[in-house]
Amino acid sequence: MTHPLQADLALYSTGDLPLWRRFVVRLHVAGCDGCRSWMAAFDSDRESIRRLAAEMPVGVNWDRLAAEMSANVRVGLEAGECVASRVHRPTLSMGWRVMAASAGVAVLLVSAWWLNMPRTDSIALGQAMRKLAQAGPWHLSGLDLEDRGPTVEVSASGIQLQQNGGTLGMSQGQERPVNVTLSVQGSARARYIDADSGQITITGVYAQ
Amino acid sequence: MRNRIFPLLLGASALAFGQFGPQNSAQQNLAHKIDFPHDAPVTLAGDEWGGSAATVRGGAYAIDVRVALSLRNASQRRIRSITLTVLAQEATPGGKGSISVPSLDVPPGETFSVRGDLHLLRPIAAGVSPMVEVSLDGVLFDDLNFYGPDKLQSRRSMMVWELEARRDRQFFKALLEQGGREGLQKEMLASIARDADRPQFGVQMVRGRATNTAGERDLQFAFLQFPEAPVEPTSGMARIAGNEARGPKLVVHNRSPRVIRYLEMGWIVRDSQGREFLAASLPSEMRLPPSSSSQLLQDASLRFDPRTSVASMTGFVSSVEFADGSMWIPNRAELDDPVLRRVVAPSPEEQRLVQIYRKRGVAAVIDELKKF
Repeated sequence: MTHPLQADLALYSTGDLPLWRRFVVRLHVAGCDGCRSWMAAFDSDRESIRRLAAEMPVGVNWDRLAAEMSANVRVGLEAGECVASRVHRPTLSMGWRVMAASAGVAVLLVSAWWLNMPRTDSIALGQAMRKLAQAGPWHLSGLDLEDRGPTVEVSASGIQLQQNGGTLGMSQGQERPVNVTLSVQGSARARYIDADSGQITITGVYAQ
Repeated sequence: MRNRIFPLLLGASALAFGQFGPQNSAQQNLAHKIDFPHDAPVTLAGDEWGGSAATVRGGAYAIDVRVALSLRNASQRRIRSITLTVLAQEATPGGKGSISVPSLDVPPGETFSVRGDLHLLRPIAAGVSPMVEVSLDGVLFDDLNFYGPDKLQSRRSMMVWELEARRDRQFFKALLEQGGREGLQKEMLASIARDADRPQFGVQMVRGRATNTAGERDLQFAFLQFPEAPVEPTSGMARIAGNEARGPKLVVHNRSPRVIRYLEMGWIVRDSQGREFLAASLPSEMRLPPSSSSQLLQDASLRFDPRTSVASMTGFVSSVEFADGSMWIPNRAELDDPVLRRVVAPSPEEQRLVQIYRKRGVAAVIDELKKF
């Protein structure tokens, strides 16, 4: 069994461990007699120190003593600065940490998109991005940016409903029409023929 | 810090996959309703919805409607054609469709089948399951009387199909009388050959107007003149920019003695490579008195294949409706124009007869012509 560091146990006993590590140490201590005895020892030491502190001689001026100690610490630090430059331990700045976290979230979202989004939506997004990339930021004024809403398209394959360049659906997906027609009023018709009976069926879709 | 980032990533991952995950494969059974008026001339004898389903696509249901209905003629007249409305959502573009069956000949009391395979859209609404409703838009009888709410203007379409069917059956009967079986067979083979050679290009109807008007130019229409047409197109133009044509404007003159309330024109496009195809139809509601002219404007844009550069445009009158509801269509002689024969599809009736010829031979076509 791997036991927590004694420093972590000491911090845990005073309630100074961070939340996540506190939870882990609590789980361990609950099932480990050895670490519990260490905790009891830390509690006992802390109690002894508190008792000793209570027995300090009468008449000590603690405020004055604290001020003198602070002054001595400052003098010591300034003297150290005069002798040698301080060595900075390289650490990641706050900005880099935020960027790393953001990159992680971005990777996660892109993966979720790639795995789950409908293909048509991805195509439409891709087309929009390509259009922007082709035009460039200096040509945006000449770009056709009007929201045209769903459009209806006819081809030899049948009738397609489209939005933002992506296909929403095609009627009569199983068969090929013998004829398709488009009306400028926003409807389209596809004509199908039953091979056996010759019966004609005409399906219409209304985009407006 | 590290201890704070980890739970954050965990939460984001749960959110991301929770949001997108379940939607992807959410295919649902499609609820359906068939609603015919109690006095309708057809009654439902049976229905089959196998393969119909709704799938979540972004913010909408993509609805596959695969329906086969068995209907009985409950009237005392023969049914020539029928149109059904298939509704997923009235107000949504792509939420409404129709299934029409022209060239029928259903006697009273007999059943006939109507099959449809449509793809519609319906926005996702909380607590509302995907559903489609099938209703009757219209029935056309052999005496050209019509029954139905006609919300899709199906009366007009079915009238045109029926008039075309009568015209073409008459043509084939005349051919049979003059040229015998061989003459009819020759015409059937010619129709098959034309059908195989007919070009079909992709055309997109775009709502609204293009904002990119760089290099736009006006292009005039040429017109095919039909001597017997009640309407004569006199001038017309459209704005052309690259592979887009928009805002067609036409001027037409009523040379008949009757008031015209509807006109439909065909729009043929020829590109710089010499390819010709029927781009779209231009329907217009109007009130055009005898001997008067009117300008027809359409706020629509057509977008063609990116390689298509529009070189010329041709218009022709394809149908006219008079104020009394009667209609005019071009005769076979007028349709014998080389351009029209190449780009315009034959009538549904001609395609039906040709299919009978393909499947069962010329004798079956003759038997079919004798029924009318």
